[in-house]
Amino acid sequence: MKGPAMCMALCSLLAFVAQGTAHSGIFPYPYRAEVLDNGLTVIVIPMESPGLVSYYTVVRTGSRDEWEPGHTGFAHFFEHMMFRGTKKYPGSVYDRLMTEMGADANAYTTDDYTCYHIGLAKSDLEKVMELESDRFQNLFYDELAFKTEAGAVHGEYLKSLASPWMVLEEKLLATAFTAHTYRHTTIGFREDIEAMPTMYEYSKSFFQRYYRPENIVLMIVGDVEPDATISLVKKYYGQWQKGYVPPQIAPEPEQMGERVAHVTYKGKTLPILTVAYKGLAFSPTDVDVAACYLLGDLAFGQTSDIYKKLVIQQQRVEFISADFSANRDPKLFVIYTMVKDENDVENVRDEIFAAIAAFQEKAVTQEKLDTQRKNTMYSFLMNLDTPDKVAGNLARFAAMTGGIDCVDQLFATFERVTPADIQRVARKYLVSDKRTVVTVTGGE
Amino acid sequence: MKAIALPALALLMLLVACGSEKKLEVVTLPVASDPTISLRLWFKVGSQNDPSGKEGLAALTAQMIADASTKKNSYEQILEKLYPMAAGYSAQVDKEMTIIMGRVHKDNLEAYYKLFVQAVLEPAFREDDFARLKSQQLNYLERTLRYQDDEELGKEALSQFIFAGTPYAHPVAGLIESVKSITLDDVRAFYRKYYTKDNVVVGIGGSFDKQFVDRLCRDLARLPSGVPEQPAPPEPAPIEGLQVLLIEKDTESTAISFGFPLDIVRGASDFHALWLVNSWLGEHRNSSSHLYQVIREARGMNYGDYSYIEAFPRGSRLQFPPSNVARRKQLFQVWIRPVRNEARHFALRAAVRELQKLVDNGLSQEAFELTAQFLKKYYLHFAPTTMERLGYALDDVFYGLDENFLNEFPKHIDELTLPEVNAAARRHLQYQNMKIVMVTKDAEALKKALVANAPSPMKYATPKPKAVLEEDKEIAVYRLPVRPENIQVVKVEEMFVR
Repeated sequence: MKGPAMCMALCSLLAFVAQGTAHSGIFPYPYRAEVLDNGLTVIVIPMESPGLVSYYTVVRTGSRDEWEPGHTGFAHFFEHMMFRGTKKYPGSVYDRLMTEMGADANAYTTDDYTCYHIGLAKSDLEKVMELESDRFQNLFYDELAFKTEAGAVHGEYLKSLASPWMVLEEKLLATAFTAHTYRHTTIGFREDIEAMPTMYEYSKSFFQRYYRPENIVLMIVGDVEPDATISLVKKYYGQWQKGYVPPQIAPEPEQMGERVAHVTYKGKTLPILTVAYKGLAFSPTDVDVAACYLLGDLAFGQTSDIYKKLVIQQQRVEFISADFSANRDPKLFVIYTMVKDENDVENVRDEIFAAIAAFQEKAVTQEKLDTQRKNTMYSFLMNLDTPDKVAGNLARFAAMTGGIDCVDQLFATFERVTPADIQRVARKYLVSDKRTVVTVTGGE
Repeated sequence: MKAIALPALALLMLLVACGSEKKLEVVTLPVASDPTISLRLWFKVGSQNDPSGKEGLAALTAQMIADASTKKNSYEQILEKLYPMAAGYSAQVDKEMTIIMGRVHKDNLEAYYKLFVQAVLEPAFREDDFARLKSQQLNYLERTLRYQDDEELGKEALSQFIFAGTPYAHPVAGLIESVKSITLDDVRAFYRKYYTKDNVVVGIGGSFDKQFVDRLCRDLARLPSGVPEQPAPPEPAPIEGLQVLLIEKDTESTAISFGFPLDIVRGASDFHALWLVNSWLGEHRNSSSHLYQVIREARGMNYGDYSYIEAFPRGSRLQFPPSNVARRKQLFQVWIRPVRNEARHFALRAAVRELQKLVDNGLSQEAFELTAQFLKKYYLHFAPTTMERLGYALDDVFYGLDENFLNEFPKHIDELTLPEVNAAARRHLQYQNMKIVMVTKDAEALKKALVANAPSPMKYATPKPKAVLEEDKEIAVYRLPVRPENIQVVKVEEMFVR
């Protein structure tokens, strides 16, 4: 993999980064990582971005951690509550200070983590840190504010209901999982969302258990100086007490047979077909994980045989793509497509099976594998050109492992993957007993 | 407060000789530390140039360049060649502008460059590509836009409603029958007419050298000559009173958009004043938005509430204003994200009432100062990448600005005064003559309520502070005068047909 192109890419990217610790992996910026006594992980990544800083707080709690019945969607709802302020800086004051600083402050929630991100001017770093450390340690809101925010979350749910992809996601997860919390989407079950206004007390316990320093990775990227920044972090976050209580997530029993489901979407859509297989927990040193990442794009990417056949030549589908990324616990490898003719859905499904069979029967060529590795590398490197994109692209890695050393490790593992590994993981994971097929059709 | 300046940008506007008597317009943005090269070719054509009956032709032509075969390579071969670089190129079409753009790591520039230039100079216009792309465009109009995102549907319908009878009216993707009627010969003719060396402005950013600029210009000089005629700026009919379009759809929540045409664009003397006013009222996807504070924060009615003085396509996907959607005529619009159907009348009243308060009373000194302070740093986030800054630079050319809009932005904000800002609000904003679009269920009931100006008391599932409830009483009876002849109800299936 380390052909001349890769070396040049690395050299070019390294050529403009700030001076720092020598660093030999693919990740182009030297960085400082430190774990405070209370377990808070701090990562400071200086990069050229005059005057701009990105401030990411990655809470390693997402909808995966919603293990108690009736509380699906709570991690996302809680993300909203984090903007309601503290006794020292109530929500309106927090908003006003952020406005004064012209900061771009927002947040999102996923299955594995919740991410709070702020784009700010360098001169405001200490003020932002004071505000952020305050709300993560001392969040305070009354029941009235809590109930009002539940209305906004309900509105968010309603706006996304119009999409057939939402309908699909709900059905796919509920079919593929029977015990693990990956059964529900991040926004949660409707009845749970509607019951949220009654969960004020629970919300306080959620904060106490999950919003703790040892469950959080703080990433500060951009026009910053590592030593001074880490000193500031110690000043503002050093008093924060440990207290993380891990969720009691039921393991998913091994799937012993194919599952099939169908759902009708009330608007109009071309039929959507998804074929999903039970996936893997992320580990940056696991060759199987690296091989699956590569296999997804090799088998279903824009240069795959099935893409050429179904999208370009025969034009039977609008698109086809795959997501074979790993999660904190084993989740799904999913192939998505949109079929132009409802009568062709089963045939397209069989084409997907055949495409997988081809990778199981015969090892991919070394050349194709090398090309895929190059694509994976450049896709990653090309998207690291602003502090926000650097932090944004690292957030999931930080959430899955608690740090970002895994990036270099994963790319090193990519180099170890052989054509035989690709064939082996295709045989091992993409099997019918671990498969869930879901179709969505509209009211055509 | 001291304004923060963007990093100094060596932004150059050049006229480069291209081997003939004509010179190409070139905008360069050298950034030596950026290991990539960004290209943006602006062709002065957009959906306003779609021939009548062929609406969607500009978009389909651009796709046939950016997402299809060339004479040298099939589409499959192009994908194969781009793949190891993880690079690509794409097209963006708006009412007046078409951008063919791409970005590549400098290691791969040579191989990439050939593909990019061939796409622009030697598109193959093959039947198979045409069938594929046309089918995608139709699917977008027939299904995605009508059924799968009520907010985009509402905003597209508002644009169509406000600019009815002008070349801005139809969606960039076209109208369903029109797209169906487009032939490959239409695409060829459209390409010949508008993709000329006299109709392009070249944008180059990143770590390129002079030889590269010369080479690109030499190659683009192989485009044919021709200065295509352009339509006059659209003159939408004046709006009298409140005119309402209700789109009947089986939905649990109602998406609301309203607004009116706006005469001022970048470069106009009131532009920054109006930008500040609008930022206070409805900064896009920011909780500092006043509408957001009133409708979402205090009342929990929906997910967000924003306003605009420039077109902002793809608003639900973008955090900051897009570039290269510049227009000679703009619109002011308010975007109320979906509210429960039973709260739709109330939400509309609440938003219009806030607009009225703004126009009638202006901003307070405190609101003015806070918003100015906000904008002088917030603008730093608008264009952090070379590609995005290049987009802004091309927009500067479009608007004929003799200064860099982004670089000078904080200076202009600093120079504003409260009386100026409030005068600009009074001059350009109003609340009596507007077009309103609501995507909703049981539109007839809403129509009756609107015509009767019936009270719309708000009921909450959860308790609210007394001050909110008191204000609600005023909002519930706020007068929105709508005459019955000014309300149309259409079914969603009737949208985007000729």
